[in-house]
Amino acid sequence: MPATLEIDRVASVVLKEMRRPLVTLVVVYAVAILGMTLIPGLEVNGETRRMGLFHAFYFMTYTATTTGFGEIPYAFSEAQRLWAIVCLYTGAIAWFYAIGAIIYLLQNPHFLQALAERRFTKRALKISEPFYILCGFGDTGSLLARGLSDQGIPAVIIEPDDARFKALSLRNYRVSMPGLRADASVPKHLLEAGLQRSNCRGVLAITNNEEVNLKITALARLLNPEVKVITRSRVDIYEETLATLGRDVHIVDPFKTFAKGLSAAICNPVLYTLNDWLIGAQNASLEGTVCPPRGTWIICGYGRMGHGILETLTMHGIPTAIIDPHVDPGMAPLRKYVVGRTTAKTLIEAGIGGAAGIVIGTNDDGHNLGILLNARGLNPRLFCIVRQNGHENEVAFNAANADIIMQPSLVTARRILLLLIAPLLKPFFKYLMNLPLNQAHVLEQLLDRLRDEVGSHEKPHLLTLRIDDKMSPEVLKVLDNGQVLALGDILRDPRARSDRLATVPLMLNSGDQWVPLPWDDYQLKKNDQILFCGRKFAHNLMDSTLNNEYTLHYVRTGIDKPRSYLMQWLTKRMKPAHL
Amino acid sequence: MNVEKVVFSFFIVLALTLNFGFVLGEMGNPAHHHGIELFAVIVVNMITTGLKLGDRSHTGAILLSTSLVADLQLIAAAIYWTVVVHVTKTGLMPDAMTTIVSLAAGALLANVISVVMLVSDTLMSRR
Repeated sequence: MPATLEIDRVASVVLKEMRRPLVTLVVVYAVAILGMTLIPGLEVNGETRRMGLFHAFYFMTYTATTTGFGEIPYAFSEAQRLWAIVCLYTGAIAWFYAIGAIIYLLQNPHFLQALAERRFTKRALKISEPFYILCGFGDTGSLLARGLSDQGIPAVIIEPDDARFKALSLRNYRVSMPGLRADASVPKHLLEAGLQRSNCRGVLAITNNEEVNLKITALARLLNPEVKVITRSRVDIYEETLATLGRDVHIVDPFKTFAKGLSAAICNPVLYTLNDWLIGAQNASLEGTVCPPRGTWIICGYGRMGHGILETLTMHGIPTAIIDPHVDPGMAPLRKYVVGRTTAKTLIEAGIGGAAGIVIGTNDDGHNLGILLNARGLNPRLFCIVRQNGHENEVAFNAANADIIMQPSLVTARRILLLLIAPLLKPFFKYLMNLPLNQAHVLEQLLDRLRDEVGSHEKPHLLTLRIDDKMSPEVLKVLDNGQVLALGDILRDPRARSDRLATVPLMLNSGDQWVPLPWDDYQLKKNDQILFCGRKFAHNLMDSTLNNEYTLHYVRTGIDKPRSYLMQWLTKRMKPAHL
Repeated sequence: MNVEKVVFSFFIVLALTLNFGFVLGEMGNPAHHHGIELFAVIVVNMITTGLKLGDRSHTGAILLSTSLVADLQLIAAAIYWTVVVHVTKTGLMPDAMTTIVSLAAGALLANVISVVMLVSDTLMSRR
């Protein structure tokens, strides 16, 4: 176990460093005490007084520590006074040396690291509920930690950077979030974080270094094959390697995710609105859809974001012009490619006057804001998509009033959080995307239902319900008795059965069966998973139904079950045929 | 209307009202606190406790514990009463009466908690 290893290390470092000072102290004390007992004291009644060992040790104790109570138990002889001087100076120096060694030890970075690791391992071991290991506490990591804390899911955080680690220690989370300042790609640290514990649900490798992420992913697969791994990757060659590592490895590429979202916005704006609202984007509402116009688009910065968006726009047959300082020889001659930094001159050259939209996607926030102001000045009707790199620039970007702000760290954090708390959302969106044309009304109906139940400006709450003994023990008891429980029953309001809770079941998973928008008469089975979208209050009420046998019996049958023994007995006697 | 709810609420409220009636009056004055009244409070409280047995819900557990507290306090008061009258034969002096009434007042507080929980539980449901 790594825990005992760390304790051994701390103990051995302390012992090694303290060996010399301790020996010095013992020797100094021994010599001084011995001298004090041998040196003759004053003569009283013709007899020379000598100090006993106990008194000599007592004298040395208060002299070496510079307390100085005086000449105890009797006044000293001159010879004893002379030796007392020696005792005082050597004793005090020995103590200073020992204290100095302790202070030196406390400043030793290896010792401090060993202590921190030990404390971290202890705190991590205390987590008894399912938890995640979060590697990297950058913008994405801190957003993710906040999201997990809001859901009441604990995480263990490993971050190598000192400044970011200090930021972590200042945060206030609702659940335990032990942090370690260390390199997560060292296997020992992953083990200390509890990678091999049975309640470790997953590893989130979201450091800023692709190599490190890859290594963490591989380590996690090797050390605990059961665990889910989610990583961020923005480079294709890494993604290929990652994909070969196994089936429970998820790769999140913020630019691809965003390009997919944009693609949805172009061909199906309603779906985009729904997605935006469900993932909890700021100011998202179910009313009014964002609709990127067709027409020529200008892409400033042909990096990872530019590539992704160009692909999307080309797929929808939208003409583009690109501005980038680097020459790209592989560009198809069809497209306009302006070489140079984005300025008013290059914007005009790219044809900003007649453009419909602009994508500003360089990795420099100052530059992005500059281009945005420039482009707005040249063409006020432009549809602007701007990339925000740093979380700290939020206020400036909000004031810039762009149509869509793309923040890679936020996109990644949201995507990972949804993979963790609402894994059924992905198949649900896949179903909506692949709806045949003659069923387009399904989406409209769903939106209407969500507007009614949740409210279009309300922040939706997602709940993944599992029929198991942890989340819904009473439901399981009913099912084990061979009784039938329909989905519609648990959707009833426990306060008044005829009312419905303000929530909508979106997706149901039972074994290998996937049911989008399940009906009320669906009969629940053990180990079913259901994704609900509704109000938080409704989900709290549903939770009380699922965990209280009387409430569950009431919503199921409409009968208040007798609670006390006496009433149970009476009911049985009065109606022997009942049940 | 649910018969169990009627019976249950009846006894819970009756326990509170009787308890209040016993406590009301000058604290150390034996003329203001009748023995039969204390007896009635104890009987009704015990019936209430019996009615609460068997409820496996969270609210049920807390309701039961408040009832047990009330029982404990009232029985202590009754034992003290018996001791001063029959064992030490000092009679119901004002200081003894004060002790008995303050024990009953503690039980009253537990009964108030019971009723508050009953009312709030009822208000939660809109049936």
